[in-house]
Amino acid sequence: MKAIRTSTLLTLMLIVVLSLSLAGCGGNNGNNEGASPAPSENATATNAAATDEPAADPTAEPEKKLDPYTVKLIYVGAVQKDEQVVEDAINKLLEPKINAKLDIAPIDWGPWDNDVNLKIASQEKFDIIFTAQWKNYVTNSAKGAYLPLNDDNGKYGNLLNEYGQGILKNLDPQFLKGSAINGVNYAVPTNKELAAQGGIVYRSDIADELGIDMSNVKTIQDLDAVLKVVKEKRPDLTPLYFKQGETFNSQYMAQYDTLGDASIPGVLLKDSSDTKIQSMIELDRYKEIIKLTREYMKKGYINKDAAVATNSTQDAMKAGNVFMTVQSLKPGKDSELANATGLVGKLKQIAFNEPTISTSDAAGSMLAISASSGDPARAMMVLDLLHTDKEINNLLVFGVKGVHYDVVSGDTIKATEKTGDYNTAAAWMLGSQFLNPVWESEAPDKWEQFKAFNSKGKASVALGFNFDASSMKTEMAACKAVMDEYDISLDTGSVDPDTVLTKYADKLKKAGLDKIIAEKQKQLDAFLAAQK
Amino acid sequence: MLSQTETAIGPSGRTGKRAKRQRQPNEISNISNLLINIFFWIYTAICVVPLILVIIVSFSDEQSVVQHGYSFFPNKWDISSYEFLLKDYWQIIDAAAVSLFVTVVGTILSLVIMAMYAYPISRGDFPHRNFFSFFMFFTLLFNGGLVPWYLAYTQMMHLKDTLWILIMPLLVSAFFVIILRTFFANTIPPALVESAKIDGAPEFRIFVQIILPLSLPVLATVGLFQTLAYWNDWYLSLIFISPEGHVNLQYLMYKTMLNVQFLTASPQAMAALAAQGVEINLPTETVRMAMAVIGIGPIVFVYSFFQKYFIKGLTVGAVKG
Amino acid sequence: MSVTNPSVSLSEVKKRGRGRVPNFLRVMKKYWVFYLMMLPAIIILIINNYIPMLGTVIAFKDINYQKGILGSDWVGFSNFKYLFSTETAWIITRNTLLYNTAFIVLTLFFSLAFAIMFNEMRSRWLSKFHQSAMFLPYFLSWVVVSYLVYGFLSAEHGFMNKTLLPFFGVDPIEWYSQSQYWPGILVIVKLWKEIGYTTVIYMAAIIGIDHEYYEAALIDGASKWKQIRKITLPLISPVIIVMTLLQIGRIFNADFGLFFQVTRNAGALYSTTQVIDTYVYQTFLAIGDIGMSSAAGLVQSIVGFLLIFLANLAVRRISKDDALF
Repeated sequence: MKAIRTSTLLTLMLIVVLSLSLAGCGGNNGNNEGASPAPSENATATNAAATDEPAADPTAEPEKKLDPYTVKLIYVGAVQKDEQVVEDAINKLLEPKINAKLDIAPIDWGPWDNDVNLKIASQEKFDIIFTAQWKNYVTNSAKGAYLPLNDDNGKYGNLLNEYGQGILKNLDPQFLKGSAINGVNYAVPTNKELAAQGGIVYRSDIADELGIDMSNVKTIQDLDAVLKVVKEKRPDLTPLYFKQGETFNSQYMAQYDTLGDASIPGVLLKDSSDTKIQSMIELDRYKEIIKLTREYMKKGYINKDAAVATNSTQDAMKAGNVFMTVQSLKPGKDSELANATGLVGKLKQIAFNEPTISTSDAAGSMLAISASSGDPARAMMVLDLLHTDKEINNLLVFGVKGVHYDVVSGDTIKATEKTGDYNTAAAWMLGSQFLNPVWESEAPDKWEQFKAFNSKGKASVALGFNFDASSMKTEMAACKAVMDEYDISLDTGSVDPDTVLTKYADKLKKAGLDKIIAEKQKQLDAFLAAQK
Repeated sequence: MLSQTETAIGPSGRTGKRAKRQRQPNEISNISNLLINIFFWIYTAICVVPLILVIIVSFSDEQSVVQHGYSFFPNKWDISSYEFLLKDYWQIIDAAAVSLFVTVVGTILSLVIMAMYAYPISRGDFPHRNFFSFFMFFTLLFNGGLVPWYLAYTQMMHLKDTLWILIMPLLVSAFFVIILRTFFANTIPPALVESAKIDGAPEFRIFVQIILPLSLPVLATVGLFQTLAYWNDWYLSLIFISPEGHVNLQYLMYKTMLNVQFLTASPQAMAALAAQGVEINLPTETVRMAMAVIGIGPIVFVYSFFQKYFIKGLTVGAVKG
Repeated sequence: MSVTNPSVSLSEVKKRGRGRVPNFLRVMKKYWVFYLMMLPAIIILIINNYIPMLGTVIAFKDINYQKGILGSDWVGFSNFKYLFSTETAWIITRNTLLYNTAFIVLTLFFSLAFAIMFNEMRSRWLSKFHQSAMFLPYFLSWVVVSYLVYGFLSAEHGFMNKTLLPFFGVDPIEWYSQSQYWPGILVIVKLWKEIGYTTVIYMAAIIGIDHEYYEAALIDGASKWKQIRKITLPLISPVIIVMTLLQIGRIFNADFGLFFQVTRNAGALYSTTQVIDTYVYQTFLAIGDIGMSSAAGLVQSIVGFLLIFLANLAVRRISKDDALF
């Protein structure tokens, strides 16, 4: 009895101690958890960030006096050795323009999810962050992690209109249309290739050696004869290297429009105008592809470990014992790959379909402004500069001219011995690629080709539609688990579709597939109706 | 079988290299000993051989690994994976220094703090011991989740990017405290404590002069485990240290492995990345193995070095009156 | 007026007008040294464990970052649904429980056996040597172990398919597509990696046993087996019980590295390898909802707590002092 009562007392003591310490720290907690991120209120931000003094009135015109501010930019990549050098160079240009400094803060792929989620959850101060439709863009926007950029009634007004005119002028409108959620944009897409096209890249030197004529290869069925020869005559080679995400069933190959997040079932076909959403595994196209893949695997064309392979197709080609891989194509993809793998002149590409544009293509690489930003207007100004100012953009992406790269002529550049000290490989995430120079090993008119490629792209009927799944989280989780269980092994031909597909379909149904598709269709129909 | 009447020198002293041992009265038979030894030789091989493989692969040529998989006899040997990793040796030295400091300070501090907690709750006469046992133990079961824990250390305590943050979360492990308590309660004869108290010795003195010396086995064991916990930890560096900050060695090595994990985690992200035409540059197979070797190399050395003292500590405790 | 006199009943104490408080304070006064000794750990636990526990409320909210944690809406139990209402939920629960039970039982059996054998080995040096070797796998991270397993089981280059199976005339097996082998594989790998750890703990316990017991037993003519059964095991039973109870408390938590890395997250194996922690992780990657992952953590904690409470009660009946609390 005594023990229980003293226990109770001790517990009470504990609670008192806890609440006292909470109250003492409640101020700080409240500041970051409960307070809205208006700049003036966050003047006493306690967290480790590069914010300097609080910003000026956010609706100030750029011409008015601006207080100094440091914009923190987070993108995916490794910390570069010469980061400080580059920052200094950028700030020399940035300060006179908008009285701001840039803090470059890359986070690597591995730690990204953890780090970023914690940063967002704790509303740590940062301004610009990379996001993509496949990297929780929709869910994070729904949770208020990113600021709306073109909401006239939003707290900061229509940032794009006020400070992002450069973006609006230069960015193909399909980008913004494609990445909007219910008409509101929460991030600015990178200006680069917009359309997606699928095809193969193969070793042309080996094809020549074996006397294979590739000129009539136009579909995946045509590959049978080719791969057969390769397998017979060069048993040391892997004829076709697959890994998860890079198979015949990839979006860019099979032309699926996943209507936003690809981990939610229910797709449309990009090359048709049908607006009826179906489960991917019910489509005839899918069944054909899977069957053929399985045949190829059984015939020994595909690497047996495809389902668990982690080596990228690039690394596989680099190793020298792979004949062909599927790739998402753009103009000059083969030479780009050849450079990266040291197989210059030995790779060629063949497209298997026409370029198309869907939401996932438009929203595949974007920069958002965090809700925890101390000065969203300034952040938008920086974004605008990244889309319009060649010098600043190239500094950020490639480093200092003459140090990290040398100009060959015009817009062609070549590497220097210091290229390794600042090499972000992040051009596709930062602003506008059309401002970038071209490496001397690439085609000099690369960007013209891109523009042509983009304009050729046929837009999917659902461009701009992003499915809002917040009411179906349980079904989403359940369906994703089922998809994770079956997709990769089916896509790589590692299991027999005849026995497995019915199980897959069955499990999906049990996981709530029909509910999701019904809701998706409903939202899509509403979206399409509003378009008219 | 060695008969007990055969002349032999006892186990406590040997003359000559192969003096035949007389079988002690309570020892197991030769056959049992032989069987046990054989079994363990096999088991040891199973444990050691994979490690050897890791080392060999780290010294192999990348091409042969990609083409033929892991092998004990690679086509070519080369040290380029180590060259690649050690290119940036300043970073590694920095990280190693962090690891060393954190491990040494952390282990010593945690032993002290945990022993000081475990002893009172092991004393049968301490009326509040149940409450405090529960207080300690409850933390093993319930945890508020990553985000609140992160907020407590960053928002409340402002410890982000400090050395201390790499030490504090691991200082108190309920698991070890309970083990310590069990040992204190079961191997210290209560009579010893009683007589000391009768002699008027203060509690703390009893703790330091009587309890601790008698607990060397368990302290050595827990100390070893804590050393491992600190050395092997990469999670704290991941969560609390920004990319430009001072991380520890294990995380430095593991960082690029995390990229690999990212790849296997989300097929949809991979597909999307592929559609973008982005290639993530993964460390090659040999570099990954080299990372593993650098990560565990030091600790294996330390462990084998301290093995001597460790076992001594264990056996000292056994010799009791 | 001594309140510490055990023969004075509580009701009498109450009658005297002394409530519980003086009693409590008296203990604190008497044992103030103990309180001081425990203080550092207490402070650390409060900061590291107890304050974050308040964050459990996240499990019941729909977090909006602009509203903050305190300002977000309450949503009752909706964050918990994905853990219970689906077929996957049943599979992951079953897998987690079965694997952990197997781990607990087998680890106990083997590490006890090994510890006893180490203790009986005649050569001290060899005993030390083998013990250290057994500990080595523990140093490897799960990622490296996954590479080793892959080197063993890879369909193209793996040791099994290329060397071992052909040796016995068996056809190569697509290991990463066949889920039926993996319970065995995972159990073996886990034991291999961690048995050294628990063995050391039991060894330390065994070494602490006074030799006199054995000598007395020997004089009575007890055989080795009998000595082990009647002396060794009973005397280290407190340690065994504590270790087992602690493991039972975590029976709902799976070792993420083992189930995610070693299986290379191969979907084809999910029916036998997916556990609660990997499922929560995958869901979090897709949905990014910390409310849902927090809910999962809460469920795991509650189940673990209930189980260990019950187990502890059972232990209490048998031998009060050995219980955890």
